[in-house]
Amino acid sequence: MPVVELSYIRLQKLVGKVSKKQISDSLPFLGLDIESEDKDLVRVEYSPNRPDYSTDFGIALGLQGLLGIKTGAIKLNIKKSTQYKISVDSKVSKIRPFVTGIIAKNGKIDDKTIKQFMTMQEDLHFGIGRKRKKSSIGIHDLDKISFPLSYTIANRNHKFIPLTSQKELSISEILQNTDVGKDYGHLLGNSSNMPVILDVNKQTVSFPPIINAAITTVTTKTKNLFVEVTGINKEDAEDMLSVVATILQKAGFSLETVQISGAKNSTPKLGEKKISVDSLLINQILGLNLNTSKIVSSLKKSRLDASIKGKKIICTIPAYRFDIFGPMDLVEETALGYGIQNLEPTLSPSQTIGQTNPVSSQLKSLSKIMVGLGYLEALNSSLTSKRVLYDLTNRDSTKIISVLDSKSQEHTILRDLILPGLLENLSKNIHESYPQRLFEIGTVFTLENPISEKINFSGISAHQDANFTEIKSIIQSALKTGFDVKIDTKTATHPAFEDGRCASIVIDKKSVGIVGEINSKIIENYKIRVPVIGFELSLSDSILKSV
Amino acid sequence: MSQVFHDIEKKIITSLKDNATQTPDSLESSTNLSPDQIRRGIEWLKLKDLAIVTESKTSTISLGKNGLESFQKGLPERRLLDLLNDGPRKLSDLQKELGPVFGPAMGLARKNNWVDTSADQISLKDLPSDLPGEKTLKQIGNNALSQNEIDKNDLLILLKRPDFIVEDIIKTKEITLTDSAKSLVLSDSSGAIDVEAKVPEVFVARTHPLKDTLDEISEIFVTLGFSEIIGNMTQSSFWNFDALFTPQDHPARELQDTFYLDGISAKKIATPEQIRKVSDSHKKNWRYNWDINEARKMALRTHTTCVTIKHLAENKPDEARVFSLGRVFRNEKVSYKHLVEFNQIEGVVVGKDANLRNLMGIQREFYKRIGITKIKFWPTFFPYTEPSLQTMVYNERLGKWIELFGMGIFRPEVTKPLGITKPVLAWGGGIERIAMLKYGLDDVREFYNNNLNWLRSATKCQ
Repeated sequence: MPVVELSYIRLQKLVGKVSKKQISDSLPFLGLDIESEDKDLVRVEYSPNRPDYSTDFGIALGLQGLLGIKTGAIKLNIKKSTQYKISVDSKVSKIRPFVTGIIAKNGKIDDKTIKQFMTMQEDLHFGIGRKRKKSSIGIHDLDKISFPLSYTIANRNHKFIPLTSQKELSISEILQNTDVGKDYGHLLGNSSNMPVILDVNKQTVSFPPIINAAITTVTTKTKNLFVEVTGINKEDAEDMLSVVATILQKAGFSLETVQISGAKNSTPKLGEKKISVDSLLINQILGLNLNTSKIVSSLKKSRLDASIKGKKIICTIPAYRFDIFGPMDLVEETALGYGIQNLEPTLSPSQTIGQTNPVSSQLKSLSKIMVGLGYLEALNSSLTSKRVLYDLTNRDSTKIISVLDSKSQEHTILRDLILPGLLENLSKNIHESYPQRLFEIGTVFTLENPISEKINFSGISAHQDANFTEIKSIIQSALKTGFDVKIDTKTATHPAFEDGRCASIVIDKKSVGIVGEINSKIIENYKIRVPVIGFELSLSDSILKSV
Repeated sequence: MSQVFHDIEKKIITSLKDNATQTPDSLESSTNLSPDQIRRGIEWLKLKDLAIVTESKTSTISLGKNGLESFQKGLPERRLLDLLNDGPRKLSDLQKELGPVFGPAMGLARKNNWVDTSADQISLKDLPSDLPGEKTLKQIGNNALSQNEIDKNDLLILLKRPDFIVEDIIKTKEITLTDSAKSLVLSDSSGAIDVEAKVPEVFVARTHPLKDTLDEISEIFVTLGFSEIIGNMTQSSFWNFDALFTPQDHPARELQDTFYLDGISAKKIATPEQIRKVSDSHKKNWRYNWDINEARKMALRTHTTCVTIKHLAENKPDEARVFSLGRVFRNEKVSYKHLVEFNQIEGVVVGKDANLRNLMGIQREFYKRIGITKIKFWPTFFPYTEPSLQTMVYNERLGKWIELFGMGIFRPEVTKPLGITKPVLAWGGGIERIAMLKYGLDDVREFYNNNLNWLRSATKCQ
């Protein structure tokens, strides 16, 4: 989950008359988890469905509602202007077809505000922008740009000075030599044409979704901003713009429209939407009995507008709350405004009779029997390594099931056998006293339509006098006591077992497992210094009726 | 003093009380115990500080084979000189008469200038009355003596000659009682042993501590009226994500968070109707081109929610309480607080009157039963529930609030396409966290290390 750093002093200024404690007590009830606190600074995690919480401005709007300082929907006051225009060239349609934007004037920007804007931009890119693929944002110093602009294409030799660079670079150079170029260049494919925003003097403003021009860099001296959002989908681009517009307005800027036309583009409206919700649904889902006016006041605390129409509540939802899909989201908004801490848990009597799954019960009994036989239960991961599972036991590894891009080398393939893991356990315990006896019951995986999952049962015993007879006795007694099943053993060979000391376990004429003395070479591989005996069998193929 | 003694110990103490200083041999005859019993008994008493054992060494000398022969017949050189005393003799005659001792006798006689040799005639030159070593040989021959009674230089001469003198070191052990033993009053309870002594440690075989916690949690839900369902760990992305309203471009679905199985896709993932309705819900609400191939990709389940949602979609119950408990997987770096594979429980309540406060009530009851009473609820976000909450529980040992189960009511965008019409309360969370609190562990990896030292010592009943 994304994290934003806040200053209590700044928040107090933005929220109004509140104490630091009121703020820190309220943050969790906006869904913000306090990660760490250091004097004035607090780091909070916010949910990806609330990109407006990526800045302290957005969080301040939420706190004002929850604390009852300012409630109801935030209205965007956007002055209609004809001064700022972008025309879209249809040649961008195949690459990144949509652009939208807004003007924000007369704001004050200090270092901390710039920092907030930067994290907002990063988080919007990562979250709702899906790593800039769906939509990406550029914030520019308006006064460095001469309107009208054109959103068009340029070839890869097109040059400009990109952000943080001192000299002109071609688009090819940016894609090949800069970090952002390398990270996001793939979004533009192999086309020779690249999207650019140019001003009236053909000066480059932005090369979306990669980088802005250096000339429009926002500093603490910047007064007026131009924000552009480009994307592969008009609604998504406008969603992102609505978040930025709401934040900038809270930050003290006056908004003005940018007129956009051409190639299916249009001026963004950033309008509200209305969703109605039945007060009965709200009360039913929350288990409350709130009257409609209480519901309305709760919704207002969640910074929505609401009016009563009979039993229905008509909600007005500002554009930046695109996380609200339908009535159920309004139930949650009501609960948040009402205060989760005010919901008293109740335990309704159960009308059903509970039961453990029969398979789980059988496995639990088998565990108890193994404990009775003096075996300690081990637990190993299903995801293990080729080294433990195949190399050390000298088994054929052609049918392995691997996972993609594991971050841990010890966890790359799914086990098809439990025994190698138990041997690995013994190998890590050679300094502990013997005898060592372990068992494990767990899932193993094989390639079959597309994956077959079966429950295996394995046991292992290591001590100076370990021999075939001991381990056959164990598996014989365990299955006899557990399931009244008789086993036979038939001579067999297995790479992990000693020839002549290895047998297959046969139940009802079907071979379901293997038992014997572990091969001395294998024992050596695991650096174990005493004889080891073991068995493994498939319970799914023999004893368990329904898996 | 309430010490308990073995019969052997008692007999030895009694005998020593009668006769204060004894050797093992004398104890053997006075107690009728075997030499081995005496040895053990003395050893035990010594360890208990009841007996003092003093060992002493004395050495004696006696005659060896050659010494004895010389004592009886005279030293070889004496015998040679005695023969020559009657007049010169032929060398070959002397050899015949003296046998093997002729060589050494002749050597000494020549070296000391007692004889003259010319051609094969040997004649006496000097007949000393005392030959070196002769006096000592007689002394020893008459009686074995201790070394200090003997002329050391004279003895040295004999010691240099092969097998003349045998030295014996005799060890003697004397046993006496300590003062505290002398005052002991021996009780007559026979067959008693020292029950206060330390005994060797034996290791108990047992079920795994984490398994105990899993069973305990499962049992709590069963008693609350829930039935257990089980499902596969490998799941198609359809049931792990799509059916749960998680868009295909959602960051959680990416490789760095989810384990996809290399090159494995499911052919049949769901009914055509389920696929159509789920994809419509995605297209309408998330505005993107839903791709069935993405939904076919097989992954290791990231939560057990896929098992419950599949169960609900198949059975469409109007009323139900079910839970599933099992391993889930996340592609994370393994650390003291993260595992790639851990256990999760997921429970659902279906019913027309199921509501958020009930859901909170079930949580509160569950926590109460595992001994956690200080809890609170905070709002949170999950793609597939609305409203969504998380439980925070207060841990006394850590002195802070920690996050446990997440919960919520399945979104209509999840339930509607799958034909589930009644509200579904759902909650779930990791078990290892609870087990860590229970066993006081700070490193979650300990559960899967199978470290015998820990498995053998972790307290089972707590």
